[in-house]
Amino acid sequence: MIDPHTPDPIQYVGEDGTPVLALPERFTPALLRELHRDMLRAREFDRKLITLLRQGRTTFYAQSSGMEATQVGLARSLRAGHDWVWPYYRDHTLALSMGVPMYELISQCLGTNSDPCRGRQMPHHFASAALKFVSISSSIASQVPPAAGSAMAQKYLGTDEITVCTFGDGATSEGDWHAGMNMAGANQAPCLFVCENNQWAISTGVRQQTASATIHIKAQAYGMPGYYVDGNDIVAVMEVCAHAAERVRRGDGPALVECLTYRVGSHSNADADAEKQYRTREEVGVWLARDPILRLEKLLEHLGEPVSPEERAALIAQTHREVDQDVLRAEATGQPDWRIIFEDVYADLPSHLRDQAAALRAEQEGARA
Amino acid sequence: MTATQEKATPTPVGETRTINLIQAITEALAEELDRDHRVVLFGEDVGARGGVFMATAGLQARFGRERVFDTPLSEASIVGAAVGMAARGLRPVAEIQFADYMGPGFDQIISQAAKLRYRSGGQFTCPLVIRTPSGGGVKGGHHHSQSPEAYYTHTPGLKVVMPSTPYDAKGLLKAAIRGEDPVIYFEPKRLYRASKGEVPTHDYTVRIGEAAVRREGTDLSLIGYGGVMPDVERAAEALGAEGVSAEVIDLRSLVPWDQDAVVRSVQKTGRAVLVSEAPRIGNFMGEVAYVIQERAFDSLLAPVGQVAGFDTPYPYVQDRVYLPGPNRILAACVRALNH
Ligand SMILES: Cc1ncc(C[n+]2csc(CCOP(=O)(O)OP(=O)(O)O)c2C)c(N)n1
Repeated sequence: MIDPHTPDPIQYVGEDGTPVLALPERFTPALLRELHRDMLRAREFDRKLITLLRQGRTTFYAQSSGMEATQVGLARSLRAGHDWVWPYYRDHTLALSMGVPMYELISQCLGTNSDPCRGRQMPHHFASAALKFVSISSSIASQVPPAAGSAMAQKYLGTDEITVCTFGDGATSEGDWHAGMNMAGANQAPCLFVCENNQWAISTGVRQQTASATIHIKAQAYGMPGYYVDGNDIVAVMEVCAHAAERVRRGDGPALVECLTYRVGSHSNADADAEKQYRTREEVGVWLARDPILRLEKLLEHLGEPVSPEERAALIAQTHREVDQDVLRAEATGQPDWRIIFEDVYADLPSHLRDQAAALRAEQEGARA
Repeated sequence: MTATQEKATPTPVGETRTINLIQAITEALAEELDRDHRVVLFGEDVGARGGVFMATAGLQARFGRERVFDTPLSEASIVGAAVGMAARGLRPVAEIQFADYMGPGFDQIISQAAKLRYRSGGQFTCPLVIRTPSGGGVKGGHHHSQSPEAYYTHTPGLKVVMPSTPYDAKGLLKAAIRGEDPVIYFEPKRLYRASKGEVPTHDYTVRIGEAAVRREGTDLSLIGYGGVMPDVERAAEALGAEGVSAEVIDLRSLVPWDQDAVVRSVQKTGRAVLVSEAPRIGNFMGEVAYVIQERAFDSLLAPVGQVAGFDTPYPYVQDRVYLPGPNRILAACVRALNH
């Protein structure tokens, strides 16, 4: 039985890769290898996108390196394409693991004609109706009240879908976060809230963010259980998230899971100098040693099923090839033209926008002539 | 040089040096922190990091964590706390990381900051400054590019300013900090480093509510503020090359705004083109156009022209097309001239 409100994060696999709790049966070597593949793929995706950024082929990138166990683990605890997700901008690993095609994600990051969001938003602000992955808003915590509403709708409609809402630790300071948590609690809405506590909101550490010892204890105030989990231990993340999701699905009301993890890279390309500005090399070093991919590799070794260096290298090479191919394919579709400015603002083009679009068309055609 | 111009755009006297707009802001903050112990500075990431645009770089190291500090990620708390501090006699200068994120603090701005003096019969006041980068041109998509000034100009009790030069940025910020009212201070982020100019080494302020005549002319008045100003001046130059003499006015302050400077100019030129990058409906320039027709109707030789952003969210791709550049400004001028 997984106990909410524990003082220490729940852990199944210790930092050296040996289990501290008996591994649940479903974690067969085959599954663990699949998880390893998903995490490594996400890590390499990060690496490649940073290269694209350096090449000036995209303009913004928010890595999730170090947070793979949290996002892959969460994805694996849900019913992809069935449950609704109200994510935040650092969730591309979650998206990939839920089955969003890499090509679509890359297209969104490049703002090409193949971008399902049609170049309207900054890189990482993805949406997929097919996977019920709702459009990401940059405005921190603004997804939380709508997630509560999404879950209330499910309750009303009587479906067995659940809603999942993710956010960083910083987001839990916003009024919207408290409003959404309260709304979900008051209505016993089937919503799973997941805090990806990577301990920094740009340069503001979690200790400056809140005087609360943990985020998960705040759940109590809104009438829901709060679970605390080692977010770099994929087994623990999956066990706790699956348990919490099941509870929500059963109709026992909302729940909050806090995954304690770390963003090892900078917040985005805008603060590449994180180590000089606001945190120490030592701190980053401590968390690099807690790398979730490394930990899973140690576990597999412990189980006598090690990932060979060749296997690892092949996986990395394959991901790089895939990204390269998708980038070229996306870039070949070209950039959306000026028309995207006016489309999708309303269901129909109102007369004032028709006039503005006509004026811009004349200007664009004049410029080309 | 006319008397008006002397008043509106004083040539810096004494020693000056050339700095950019963001340096001007940092200097204004440092000097005000130094001058008045009641001044405190806070917001998301303004401390160790120095702000995402580095406007507060080095200030925490120099003035300490009591006076320059990071806050939790909550604009409602930032603005609301500033209101409380101001009511207790401090001079809070709060940074909202992007104007697009004033939303969560909106109620504190319009319900508390703007109305404390009025509803308490003047017993309580709210002398605070909210600094925030606004406007587009930085590939930021809608959440890092919007120009929301009209929401605030529409709220009685707030002063609203937007500088476009380092000289004004420094002088207006100091005036805002020393003033007795809540001031929303918009910083056109694409000019942070692009706008350079001479700034005096001595202390000075720029009065809130006075426009600046950037260029004198007789055929047409080009009126703008904030991030569009370099393009407005480029358009005026292009017109000059064609033998058209355009007068360029930088409003600098939106509330209160310099009606007299605008009316005087239009009475001289007979034509006005208003330029801003905010969406057109409810744009602050609608008020300027209204006052022009009210006070200078008899001088008008053509309808007042307006160049604005489109009535759509700000896009990520095609973001430069969204912005009214020199071509769109010139086209509006040609329409006014050929009327
Ligand atoms: C309402 C709002 N205020 C400020 C910002 C600017 N901003 C972008 S990311 C960020 C930090 C978010 O931290 P956290 O929620 O912990 O997520 P993390 O980036 O650490 O994953 C801030 C302040 C924003 N996007 N929205």
